[in-house]
Amino acid sequence: MPQPDRRRFLTSAVLGGSAVAGATALGSLAPEAAFAAAPKIKLDPGALDPNFAEGRITGISGSLLKASGSDRTLHRIHITDGTSIWKLHPTTFDQIKVGDGFYARGVRLPDGSLAADAIWVNIVNLDASIAAIETARLHLDHNGKRVIGHVVGGRTAAVYGSAPAVADLTRLQVGRHVKVIGAWRPDTNEVDIATVYSGA
Amino acid sequence: MVEWPASVQPLFVGATLLWSGGVKCAGASARRAAQRSALRSLVGEARAPIAHRLVGAAELALAAALLLPPVYAGEAVAAAVLATGFLAYLAYARVVAPDSSCGCMSARPMPVTWRGFARAALILAAALLGTRAGPWWDAATGHPWAAGTTLLGEAAALVALSPEADRRWLYPLRRLRVRLRHPLADRSFDMPLESSLQQLLGSTAYRQVSGLLRSGLRETWDEEDVRVLCYTAEYEGRLATAVFAVPLRHYRPEEIRVALVDESAESTLLVLDGA
Repeated sequence: MPQPDRRRFLTSAVLGGSAVAGATALGSLAPEAAFAAAPKIKLDPGALDPNFAEGRITGISGSLLKASGSDRTLHRIHITDGTSIWKLHPTTFDQIKVGDGFYARGVRLPDGSLAADAIWVNIVNLDASIAAIETARLHLDHNGKRVIGHVVGGRTAAVYGSAPAVADLTRLQVGRHVKVIGAWRPDTNEVDIATVYSGA
Repeated sequence: MVEWPASVQPLFVGATLLWSGGVKCAGASARRAAQRSALRSLVGEARAPIAHRLVGAAELALAAALLLPPVYAGEAVAAAVLATGFLAYLAYARVVAPDSSCGCMSARPMPVTWRGFARAALILAAALLGTRAGPWWDAATGHPWAAGTTLLGEAAALVALSPEADRRWLYPLRRLRVRLRHPLADRSFDMPLESSLQQLLGSTAYRQVSGLLRSGLRETWDEEDVRVLCYTAEYEGRLATAVFAVPLRHYRPEEIRVALVDESAESTLLVLDGA
Protein backbone atom coordinates (compact mmCIF):
# COMPACT_ATOMS: atom_id res chain seq x y z
CA MET A 1 0.00 0.00 0.00
CA PRO A 2 1.41 3.48 -0.84
CA GLN A 3 2.38 5.54 2.20
CA PRO A 4 -0.48 8.15 2.16
CA ASP A 5 -3.13 5.42 1.75
CA ARG A 6 -1.50 3.35 4.45
CA ARG A 7 -1.50 6.21 6.91
CA ARG A 8 -5.11 7.03 6.05
CA PHE A 9 -6.05 3.41 6.65
CA LEU A 10 -4.25 3.24 10.00
CA THR A 11 -5.70 6.59 11.11
CA SER A 12 -9.23 5.52 10.25
CA ALA A 13 -8.68 2.23 12.07
CA VAL A 14 -7.95 3.98 15.34
CA LEU A 15 -10.31 6.93 14.96
CA GLY A 16 -13.21 5.23 13.15
CA GLY A 17 -16.12 4.52 15.45
CA SER A 18 -16.48 0.82 14.75
CA ALA A 19 -16.25 -2.01 17.27
CA VAL A 20 -14.66 -0.20 20.20
CA ALA A 21 -13.97 -2.54 23.07
CA GLY A 22 -13.85 -1.39 26.68
CA ALA A 23 -10.63 -0.58 28.44
CA THR A 24 -10.48 -3.93 30.17
CA ALA A 25 -11.06 -6.04 27.05
CA LEU A 26 -7.54 -7.42 27.30
CA GLY A 27 -7.86 -8.25 30.98
CA SER A 28 -7.45 -6.62 34.33
CA LEU A 29 -5.56 -3.35 34.78
CA ALA A 30 -4.29 -4.39 38.20
CA PRO A 31 -0.51 -4.35 38.59
CA GLU A 32 -0.51 -8.03 39.59
CA ALA A 33 -1.91 -8.93 36.19
CA ALA A 34 0.78 -6.86 34.48
CA PHE A 35 3.50 -8.64 36.44
CA ALA A 36 2.02 -12.02 35.63
CA ALA A 37 1.95 -11.17 31.93
CA ALA A 38 5.49 -9.76 31.86
CA PRO A 39 7.84 -12.02 29.91
CA LYS A 40 10.16 -14.05 32.08
CA ILE A 41 13.82 -13.61 31.26
CA LYS A 42 15.76 -16.80 31.82
CA LEU A 43 19.40 -15.79 31.96
CA ASP A 44 22.26 -16.99 34.10
CA PRO A 45 23.76 -14.20 36.15
CA GLY A 46 26.57 -12.66 34.15
CA ALA A 47 25.49 -14.25 30.89
CA LEU A 48 25.17 -12.09 27.79
CA ASP A 49 21.61 -11.31 26.74
CA PRO A 50 21.27 -13.11 23.39
CA ASN A 51 18.49 -10.79 22.31
CA PHE A 52 20.56 -7.64 22.50
CA ALA A 53 23.36 -6.24 20.38
CA GLU A 54 25.42 -3.06 20.38
CA GLY A 55 28.32 -1.74 18.41
CA ARG A 56 29.11 0.16 15.27
CA ILE A 57 27.88 -0.59 11.79
CA THR A 58 30.56 -1.80 9.42
CA GLY A 59 28.42 -2.67 6.42
CA ILE A 60 24.89 -2.61 5.05
CA SER A 61 23.63 -5.09 2.49
CA GLY A 62 19.97 -5.09 1.65
CA SER A 63 18.14 -5.06 4.97
CA LEU A 64 21.04 -6.67 6.81
CA LEU A 65 23.36 -4.66 9.02
CA LYS A 66 26.84 -5.94 9.72
CA ALA A 67 28.35 -4.57 12.89
CA SER A 68 31.14 -5.04 15.34
CA GLY A 69 30.42 -4.80 19.04
CA SER A 70 32.50 -2.93 21.58
CA ASP A 71 33.76 -6.34 22.77
CA ARG A 72 34.67 -7.13 19.13
CA THR A 73 31.74 -9.51 18.71
CA LEU A 74 30.56 -9.53 15.11
CA HIS A 75 26.82 -9.04 14.70
CA ARG A 76 24.42 -9.49 11.81
CA ILE A 77 21.17 -7.68 12.31
CA HIS A 78 18.04 -8.02 10.20
CA ILE A 79 15.86 -4.94 9.90
CA THR A 80 12.25 -5.67 8.94
CA ASP A 81 9.14 -3.60 8.28
CA GLY A 82 8.22 -4.12 11.92
CA THR A 83 11.54 -2.83 13.31
CA SER A 84 11.44 0.56 14.97
CA ILE A 85 14.43 2.72 14.02
CA TRP A 86 15.44 5.66 16.19
CA LYS A 87 17.96 8.17 14.99
CA LEU A 88 17.16 11.39 16.83
CA HIS A 89 13.52 10.60 16.05
CA PRO A 90 11.64 7.60 14.63
CA THR A 91 13.00 7.25 11.13
CA THR A 92 13.52 4.90 8.22
CA PHE A 93 16.13 2.33 7.24
CA ASP A 94 17.79 4.54 4.63
CA GLN A 95 18.93 6.91 7.38
CA ILE A 96 21.25 4.28 8.88
CA LYS A 97 24.83 4.81 7.72
CA VAL A 98 28.06 2.82 7.97
CA GLY A 99 29.97 4.06 11.02
CA ASP A 100 26.87 4.70 13.10
CA GLY A 101 26.75 3.32 16.63
CA PHE A 102 23.66 1.47 17.80
CA TYR A 103 21.84 -0.57 20.39
CA ALA A 104 19.41 -3.21 19.11
CA ARG A 105 16.90 -5.50 20.74
CA GLY A 106 15.13 -8.39 19.04
CA VAL A 107 15.09 -12.15 18.68
CA ARG A 108 18.22 -14.24 18.08
CA LEU A 109 17.71 -16.50 15.06
CA PRO A 110 19.19 -20.03 14.82
CA ASP A 111 21.88 -18.85 12.40
CA GLY A 112 23.18 -16.43 15.05
CA SER A 113 21.84 -13.25 13.50
CA LEU A 114 19.48 -10.95 15.34
CA ALA A 115 16.03 -10.07 13.99
CA ALA A 116 15.67 -6.59 15.44
CA ASP A 117 12.45 -5.40 17.03
CA ALA A 118 13.98 -2.04 17.80
CA ILE A 119 17.24 -0.31 17.00
CA TRP A 120 18.50 2.96 18.46
CA VAL A 121 21.13 4.53 16.27
CA ASN A 122 23.81 6.80 17.75
CA ILE A 123 21.74 7.30 20.90
CA VAL A 124 23.60 8.87 23.83
CA ASN A 125 22.62 9.74 27.37
CA LEU A 126 24.86 12.43 28.83
CA ASP A 127 25.08 13.94 32.28
CA ALA A 128 26.61 17.32 31.71
CA SER A 129 26.63 20.93 32.73
CA ILE A 130 25.91 23.82 30.40
CA ALA A 131 29.10 25.81 29.82
CA ALA A 132 27.70 28.20 27.24
CA ILE A 133 24.61 28.81 25.16
CA GLU A 134 24.87 29.99 21.57
CA THR A 135 22.51 30.24 18.64
CA ALA A 136 21.21 26.73 17.94
CA ARG A 137 23.68 25.00 20.21
CA LEU A 138 24.68 24.27 23.78
CA HIS A 139 28.26 23.83 24.95
CA LEU A 140 28.24 21.00 27.46
CA ASP A 141 30.90 19.98 29.96
CA HIS A 142 30.74 16.21 30.21
CA ASN A 143 33.28 14.59 32.58
CA GLY A 144 35.71 17.39 31.89
CA LYS A 145 35.32 17.13 28.11
CA ARG A 146 33.52 19.60 25.90
CA VAL A 147 30.52 18.32 23.93
CA ILE A 148 28.61 20.47 21.45
CA GLY A 149 24.86 19.86 21.60
CA HIS A 150 23.02 21.01 18.49
CA VAL A 151 19.44 22.20 18.85
CA VAL A 152 17.36 20.78 16.01
CA GLY A 153 14.34 22.86 15.05
CA GLY A 154 11.06 21.01 15.49
CA ARG A 155 12.81 18.09 17.22
CA THR A 156 14.63 19.24 20.34
CA ALA A 157 12.45 19.25 23.44
CA ALA A 158 13.13 20.35 27.00
CA VAL A 159 11.79 18.88 30.22
CA TYR A 160 11.96 21.18 33.25
CA GLY A 161 11.58 19.30 36.49
CA SER A 162 8.59 16.98 36.21
CA ALA A 163 6.59 19.22 33.85
CA PRO A 164 5.54 17.97 30.39
CA ALA A 165 8.09 18.35 27.60
CA VAL A 166 8.07 21.66 25.74
CA ALA A 167 9.85 23.12 22.72
CA ASP A 168 10.84 26.23 24.70
CA LEU A 169 14.55 26.14 25.57
CA THR A 170 14.83 29.62 27.06
CA ARG A 171 14.78 28.36 30.62
CA LEU A 172 18.11 26.60 30.20
CA GLN A 173 20.87 28.38 32.09
CA VAL A 174 24.65 28.49 31.92
CA GLY A 175 26.18 26.53 34.81
CA ARG A 176 23.15 24.28 35.29
CA HIS A 177 23.39 20.52 35.36
CA VAL A 178 21.41 18.79 32.60
CA LYS A 179 20.79 15.34 31.23
CA VAL A 180 20.76 15.07 27.46
CA ILE A 181 19.31 12.34 25.29
CA GLY A 182 20.58 12.82 21.79
CA ALA A 183 22.06 11.39 18.64
CA TRP A 184 25.83 11.36 18.39
CA ARG A 185 27.44 12.57 15.17
CA PRO A 186 29.89 9.71 14.64
CA ASP A 187 33.58 10.42 15.32
CA THR A 188 32.95 13.94 16.59
CA ASN A 189 32.27 15.49 19.98
CA GLU A 190 28.91 16.71 18.72
CA VAL A 191 25.39 15.46 19.37
CA ASP A 192 21.98 16.47 18.08
CA ILE A 193 19.75 16.95 21.08
CA ALA A 194 16.48 15.03 21.25
CA THR A 195 15.54 15.93 24.82
CA VAL A 196 17.32 17.99 27.45
CA TYR A 197 16.26 17.51 31.07
CA SER A 198 16.90 20.39 33.44
CA GLY A 199 16.15 20.60 37.15
CA ALA A 200 13.77 23.55 37.06
CA MET B 1 65.59 51.92 36.87
CA VAL B 2 63.85 48.82 35.54
CA GLU B 3 64.12 46.83 38.73
CA TRP B 4 60.64 47.37 40.09
CA PRO B 5 58.77 45.06 37.69
CA ALA B 6 61.11 42.26 38.76
CA SER B 7 60.75 43.16 42.41
CA VAL B 8 56.96 42.74 42.51
CA GLN B 9 57.13 39.26 40.97
CA PRO B 10 57.73 37.49 44.30
CA LEU B 11 54.49 39.08 45.50
CA PHE B 12 52.57 37.67 42.52
CA VAL B 13 54.20 34.23 42.65
CA GLY B 14 53.86 34.10 46.44
CA ALA B 15 50.15 34.96 46.37
CA THR B 16 49.53 32.38 43.64
CA LEU B 17 51.32 29.68 45.65
CA LEU B 18 49.40 30.73 48.74
CA TRP B 19 46.16 30.08 46.83
CA SER B 20 47.14 26.73 45.34
CA GLY B 21 48.95 25.51 48.47
CA GLY B 22 46.02 26.52 50.65
CA VAL B 23 43.59 24.59 48.46
CA LYS B 24 45.82 21.49 48.55
CA CYS B 25 46.38 21.55 52.32
CA ALA B 26 43.16 22.93 53.74
CA GLY B 27 40.57 22.45 50.94
CA ALA B 28 37.43 20.59 51.98
CA SER B 29 37.79 17.90 49.31
CA ALA B 30 41.56 17.99 48.79
CA ARG B 31 41.67 14.23 49.23
CA ARG B 32 39.24 13.62 46.38
CA ALA B 33 41.10 16.12 44.20
CA ALA B 34 44.31 14.18 44.80
CA GLN B 35 42.69 10.89 43.85
CA ARG B 36 41.36 12.33 40.60
CA SER B 37 44.71 13.87 39.67
CA ALA B 38 47.51 12.36 37.67
CA LEU B 39 49.42 11.89 40.96
CA ARG B 40 47.48 8.66 41.23
CA SER B 41 49.37 7.08 38.36
CA LEU B 42 52.61 8.88 39.29
CA VAL B 43 52.99 7.76 42.93
CA GLY B 44 50.16 5.25 43.36
CA GLU B 45 46.57 5.46 44.57
CA ALA B 46 47.35 5.26 48.30
CA ARG B 47 50.15 7.82 48.31
CA ALA B 48 48.44 10.37 46.05
CA PRO B 49 46.72 12.31 48.91
CA ILE B 50 49.99 12.51 50.89
CA ALA B 51 51.98 13.62 47.84
CA HIS B 52 49.26 16.17 47.05
CA ARG B 53 49.47 17.55 50.57
CA LEU B 54 53.28 17.63 50.53
CA VAL B 55 53.24 19.65 47.30
CA GLY B 56 50.74 21.98 48.97
CA ALA B 57 52.97 22.34 52.05
CA ALA B 58 55.98 23.10 49.86
CA GLU B 59 53.95 25.72 48.02
CA LEU B 60 52.87 27.33 51.30
CA ALA B 61 56.43 27.34 52.67
CA LEU B 62 57.73 28.89 49.47
CA ALA B 63 54.90 31.43 49.49
CA ALA B 64 55.84 32.44 53.03
CA ALA B 65 59.51 32.76 52.08
CA LEU B 66 58.65 34.88 49.03
CA LEU B 67 56.21 37.19 50.81
CA LEU B 68 58.05 37.69 54.12
CA PRO B 69 61.47 39.23 54.75
CA PRO B 70 64.35 38.59 54.46
CA VAL B 71 64.91 38.34 50.70
CA TYR B 72 67.12 35.61 49.32
CA ALA B 73 67.81 35.18 45.60
CA GLY B 74 67.29 31.46 46.13
CA GLU B 75 63.58 31.95 46.85
CA ALA B 76 62.74 32.99 43.30
CA VAL B 77 64.98 30.26 41.92
CA ALA B 78 63.09 27.71 44.02
CA ALA B 79 59.81 29.11 42.68
CA ALA B 80 61.11 28.77 39.12
CA VAL B 81 62.10 25.17 39.82
CA LEU B 82 58.63 24.48 41.25
CA ALA B 83 56.95 26.08 38.21
CA THR B 84 59.10 23.94 35.91
CA GLY B 85 57.96 20.97 37.97
CA PHE B 86 54.33 21.98 37.39
CA LEU B 87 54.93 22.12 33.64
CA ALA B 88 56.55 18.69 33.71
CA TYR B 89 53.65 17.32 35.79
CA LEU B 90 51.09 18.74 33.35
CA ALA B 91 52.96 17.23 30.41
CA TYR B 92 53.07 13.89 32.23
CA ALA B 93 49.32 14.10 33.00
CA ARG B 94 48.55 14.98 29.40
CA VAL B 95 50.55 12.06 28.02
CA VAL B 96 50.10 9.31 30.60
CA ALA B 97 46.74 10.01 32.25
CA PRO B 98 44.73 12.22 29.88
CA ASP B 99 41.49 11.50 31.74
CA SER B 100 42.84 12.70 35.07
CA SER B 101 42.03 16.02 36.67
CA CYS B 102 44.62 18.76 37.03
CA GLY B 103 44.27 18.97 40.82
CA CYS B 104 46.10 22.27 40.58
CA MET B 105 44.20 25.11 42.14
CA SER B 106 40.80 23.75 43.15
CA ALA B 107 39.20 20.50 44.19
CA ARG B 108 36.83 20.70 41.23
CA PRO B 109 37.63 18.17 38.47
CA MET B 110 39.49 20.06 35.74
CA PRO B 111 41.04 18.40 32.73
CA VAL B 112 44.56 19.43 31.75
CA THR B 113 44.23 21.87 28.85
CA TRP B 114 46.35 24.52 27.17
CA ARG B 115 45.17 26.97 29.82
CA GLY B 116 46.90 24.93 32.51
CA PHE B 117 50.16 24.99 30.57
CA ALA B 118 49.85 28.72 29.89
CA ARG B 119 49.23 29.36 33.58
CA ALA B 120 52.26 27.33 34.68
CA ALA B 121 54.33 29.14 32.04
CA LEU B 122 53.12 32.49 33.39
CA ILE B 123 54.24 31.53 36.91
CA LEU B 124 57.58 30.30 35.58
CA ALA B 125 58.15 33.56 33.67
CA ALA B 126 57.27 35.59 36.76
CA ALA B 127 59.57 33.51 38.96
CA LEU B 128 62.46 33.85 36.48
CA LEU B 129 61.95 37.60 36.32
CA GLY B 130 61.86 37.63 40.12
CA THR B 131 65.33 36.16 40.42
CA ARG B 132 66.73 39.57 39.58
CA ALA B 133 64.72 41.34 42.23
CA GLY B 134 65.11 43.39 45.35
CA PRO B 135 62.52 43.40 48.16
CA TRP B 136 59.00 43.82 46.79
CA TRP B 137 57.99 46.29 49.51
CA ASP B 138 60.64 48.76 48.26
CA ALA B 139 59.26 48.51 44.73
CA ALA B 140 55.69 48.82 46.00
CA THR B 141 56.47 52.03 47.91
CA GLY B 142 58.74 53.40 45.15
CA HIS B 143 56.32 52.87 42.24
CA PRO B 144 52.93 52.20 43.82
CA TRP B 145 50.86 52.81 40.67
CA ALA B 146 53.06 50.99 38.21
CA ALA B 147 53.57 48.08 40.59
CA GLY B 148 49.85 47.87 41.37
CA THR B 149 48.91 47.90 37.69
CA THR B 150 51.45 45.21 36.86
CA LEU B 151 50.22 42.98 39.67
CA LEU B 152 46.59 43.55 38.70
CA GLY B 153 47.36 42.64 35.09
CA GLU B 154 49.16 39.48 36.14
CA ALA B 155 46.36 38.51 38.51
CA ALA B 156 43.82 39.04 35.71
CA ALA B 157 45.88 36.85 33.38
CA LEU B 158 46.10 34.18 36.08
CA VAL B 159 42.35 34.19 36.66
CA ALA B 160 41.65 34.15 32.91
CA LEU B 161 43.91 31.10 32.53
CA SER B 162 42.28 29.28 35.47
CA PRO B 163 39.30 27.12 34.50
CA GLU B 164 38.66 26.83 38.26
CA ALA B 165 37.66 30.47 38.35
CA ASP B 166 35.29 30.36 35.35
CA ARG B 167 32.23 29.92 37.53
CA ARG B 168 33.05 33.16 39.34
CA TRP B 169 33.40 35.51 36.38
CA LEU B 170 32.89 33.81 33.00
CA TYR B 171 29.62 32.02 33.75
CA PRO B 172 27.93 35.09 35.27
CA LEU B 173 28.91 37.06 32.14
CA ARG B 174 27.48 34.34 29.90
CA ARG B 175 24.34 34.20 32.03
CA LEU B 176 23.93 37.94 31.68
CA ARG B 177 24.29 37.72 27.91
CA VAL B 178 21.75 34.91 27.76
CA ARG B 179 19.36 36.90 29.92
CA LEU B 180 19.60 39.95 27.67
CA ARG B 181 18.85 37.98 24.53
CA HIS B 182 18.46 34.24 24.79
CA PRO B 183 20.15 32.65 21.76
CA LEU B 184 17.59 29.85 21.75
CA ALA B 185 14.54 32.13 21.77
CA ASP B 186 12.20 32.58 18.78
CA ARG B 187 11.44 28.93 18.38
CA SER B 188 8.14 27.54 17.30
CA PHE B 189 5.69 26.31 19.86
CA ASP B 190 5.07 22.98 18.17
CA MET B 191 4.13 20.18 20.51
CA PRO B 192 7.29 18.08 20.85
CA LEU B 193 7.04 14.35 20.28
CA GLU B 194 8.42 13.76 23.78
CA SER B 195 5.36 15.46 25.23
CA SER B 196 3.00 13.12 23.34
CA LEU B 197 5.08 10.14 24.45
CA GLN B 198 4.84 11.22 28.09
CA GLN B 199 1.08 11.44 27.73
CA LEU B 200 0.92 8.06 26.00
CA LEU B 201 3.00 6.24 28.61
CA GLY B 202 0.69 7.42 31.37
CA SER B 203 -2.50 6.30 29.64
CA THR B 204 -4.79 3.35 30.32
CA ALA B 205 -4.77 2.39 26.65
CA TYR B 206 -0.99 2.02 26.67
CA ARG B 207 -1.00 0.00 29.87
CA GLN B 208 -3.54 -2.33 28.28
CA VAL B 209 -1.45 -3.20 25.26
CA SER B 210 2.10 -2.52 26.47
CA GLY B 211 2.56 -6.25 27.08
CA LEU B 212 1.89 -6.89 23.39
CA LEU B 213 4.32 -4.30 22.03
CA ARG B 214 7.47 -5.61 20.45
CA SER B 215 9.18 -2.55 18.99
CA GLY B 216 9.89 1.01 19.99
CA LEU B 217 8.05 3.89 18.34
CA ARG B 218 8.07 3.10 14.63
CA GLU B 219 6.51 6.15 13.07
CA THR B 220 4.36 9.11 13.91
CA TRP B 221 2.36 11.76 12.11
CA ASP B 222 -0.15 14.46 12.99
CA GLU B 223 -3.77 14.29 11.94
CA GLU B 224 -5.54 17.59 12.79
CA ASP B 225 -5.81 17.48 16.58
CA VAL B 226 -4.47 14.00 17.19
CA ARG B 227 -0.97 12.62 16.88
CA VAL B 228 -0.81 9.05 15.57
CA LEU B 229 1.95 6.81 16.99
CA CYS B 230 2.66 3.31 15.59
CA TYR B 231 4.35 0.36 17.26
CA THR B 232 4.77 -3.25 16.23
CA ALA B 233 2.75 -5.62 18.41
CA GLU B 234 2.13 -9.32 18.63
CA TYR B 235 -1.51 -10.23 19.10
CA GLU B 236 -2.94 -13.74 19.16
CA GLY B 237 0.18 -15.16 17.58
CA ARG B 238 0.46 -12.76 14.66
CA LEU B 239 2.28 -9.51 14.03
CA ALA B 240 0.12 -6.42 14.13
CA THR B 241 0.55 -2.67 14.18
CA ALA B 242 -0.55 -0.92 17.36
CA VAL B 243 -1.88 2.48 16.32
CA PHE B 244 -2.35 5.01 19.12
CA ALA B 245 -4.26 8.27 18.73
CA VAL B 246 -3.00 10.85 21.26
CA PRO B 247 -4.64 14.29 21.68
CA LEU B 248 -2.19 16.77 20.16
CA ARG B 249 -2.89 19.99 22.04
CA HIS B 250 -4.39 18.76 25.31
CA TYR B 251 -3.27 16.54 28.14
CA ARG B 252 -6.13 14.02 28.15
CA PRO B 253 -4.61 10.55 28.47
CA GLU B 254 -8.07 9.07 29.10
CA GLU B 255 -9.01 9.98 25.50
CA ILE B 256 -6.15 7.97 24.00
CA ARG B 257 -7.39 5.16 21.77
CA VAL B 258 -5.48 2.26 20.33
CA ALA B 259 -6.18 -0.03 17.40
CA LEU B 260 -4.42 -3.29 16.63
CA VAL B 261 -4.25 -3.59 12.85
CA ASP B 262 -3.07 -6.41 10.62
CA GLU B 263 -1.52 -4.39 7.80
CA SER B 264 -0.97 -7.35 5.47
CA ALA B 265 -4.65 -8.32 5.62
CA GLU B 266 -5.82 -4.71 5.94
CA SER B 267 -8.05 -5.67 8.83
CA THR B 268 -8.58 -4.13 12.24
CA LEU B 269 -8.23 -6.71 15.00
CA LEU B 270 -9.19 -4.67 18.03
CA VAL B 271 -9.95 -1.09 19.01
CA LEU B 272 -9.71 0.07 22.64
CA ASP B 273 -10.52 3.41 24.18
CA GLY B 274 -9.03 4.48 27.46
CA ALA B 275 -12.34 5.06 29.25
